[in-house]
Amino acid sequence: MGGVLVRPIILTVCIYLFLKFIVPNLPHSAPLPSSLIFLYLMLTTAGIVIFATLSGASKDAFFGPILRFLTGEGGGALSGARYLVLALFPLLVGWQTYGSTASSDAPPGENRTIHPAPPGEYTGLSNPVPKTLENINYGKGLYASRCSPCHGNFDGKGFAAAGFTPPPANFKDPTTIAMLQESYLFWRIKKGGVGLPVEGMPWKTAMPRWEMEMSDEDIWKVIMGEYDGAGQKPRTWDESE
Amino acid sequence: MARVRSVGKRWWVGAVGLLGLCVAAGAEPAYSQQSVAVRAGLVKGSLPVDDPTAAAWATASVSEFPMSPQVHWPVRITDVTAKSVKVRGLHDGTTVAILLEYSDPSEDPEDAAALEFMVGDTKAHFAHGQPMAQVEGGPVNIWYWKNKDGKGADLGAKGFGTLKPHSHQDVKAKGVYQGGAWKVVFSRPLNTEHVAEDTQFKPGEFASIAFAIWDGKKMDTGQPKEKGSEKAISSWWYFRADAPPDYSPYMYALLAVALAVGFEMVLVRRLKKGS
Repeated sequence: MGGVLVRPIILTVCIYLFLKFIVPNLPHSAPLPSSLIFLYLMLTTAGIVIFATLSGASKDAFFGPILRFLTGEGGGALSGARYLVLALFPLLVGWQTYGSTASSDAPPGENRTIHPAPPGEYTGLSNPVPKTLENINYGKGLYASRCSPCHGNFDGKGFAAAGFTPPPANFKDPTTIAMLQESYLFWRIKKGGVGLPVEGMPWKTAMPRWEMEMSDEDIWKVIMGEYDGAGQKPRTWDESE
Repeated sequence: MARVRSVGKRWWVGAVGLLGLCVAAGAEPAYSQQSVAVRAGLVKGSLPVDDPTAAAWATASVSEFPMSPQVHWPVRITDVTAKSVKVRGLHDGTTVAILLEYSDPSEDPEDAAALEFMVGDTKAHFAHGQPMAQVEGGPVNIWYWKNKDGKGADLGAKGFGTLKPHSHQDVKAKGVYQGGAWKVVFSRPLNTEHVAEDTQFKPGEFASIAFAIWDGKKMDTGQPKEKGSEKAISSWWYFRADAPPDYSPYMYALLAVALAVGFEMVLVRRLKKGS
């Protein structure tokens, strides 16, 4: 087979290996769905074909070896490889067909929204409690007794966290309270998991409805203690202006 | 130019290096996989509904779920005996049996365990189907076993304080205490006539399941260590009774292979003619 085909094949294989095994291990990354990997490989293949067919000469140089390989004109050592490809292609098609028609053992996917929009009355509320050391420490005390069993040392790893799915929030993670306003936390603490809209899957969360046990003032103090303990600052609109 | 050619010849070194990285990355999983579903396999013959120690359970796939102290509702507990529960399932097409296995240092009359299911397609909160502010929730069906009762109970709830036995008792349960662990088997017909109160199982489809365990050890106060809402719990996981074997995907695959072979023959023939 012509050397002109070797590099595209190696390139495609390398891109597949990179997407499949390297990307999931990058910081803040996750395994890519196979459909996305397939899409990237199709784009790669399309790019290779476009590049190879920019001129008549390059087109012949690219497709010539393929045609000679498929028709067996090359003969010799490549005939074994030809039969192998002709045998593997139907098997691959059969395998893909089986995979798409056989029932999956995987449970249904869950597209849970972690921070759904709060009800209108909780948007833009400001914390009415003065930000004093006394209030912050009082809030930390409430946090220790009420919140830390699940949320732990602000890291979501409390002793009671193991059995719950979704897991308790990690407040030290920059994607939790650091990107939320205090009013959002007030809603989530006051109304608990059962206060979430449908996209938040309220039927799964163990977050208590703290309005049953804490005053609004104490909830605001807990919020202050939470931000201070986690080393985070609430998101405000003023800072961005 | 020589420099470019030199780099071009060494491109495969990078490819081999990338391959090596992939092998290294794939050698150690980045995180451990925990169970998310209980799978009840389809068996022929009788189900071990009265025998939690039957050899047939060894053929069932096992799932393990972590347990938490119940901290959601005001009467809380901070430490529970059962830290996790192993769950197995089997069914014969008409009856389903689910086996719980968990550690407990002592056998006590008040020891108890329960399974919880949603009823129908309506979502229900895992804590006894309590009301949700923005979602119209449904009831839950609870299968309960207590050591001193020696039998199962079929219960329903839609919110705290609403737990009550169904007028129909379709659930059986039996527990065996061995070597510091309980094995409790629950069983019930896959489907019942009471669709508004009982969960119904359709083989091949996933249902939601949750677990609760009480250590009934008598404390100095005379009260059990865990009782009522002071218990070990989980939130929702998945349960599925396996569907009967379906061979149609193999038929589709064979058909696809035949079509692909035909396509290849036509393609090669035309290419040869063209050349």
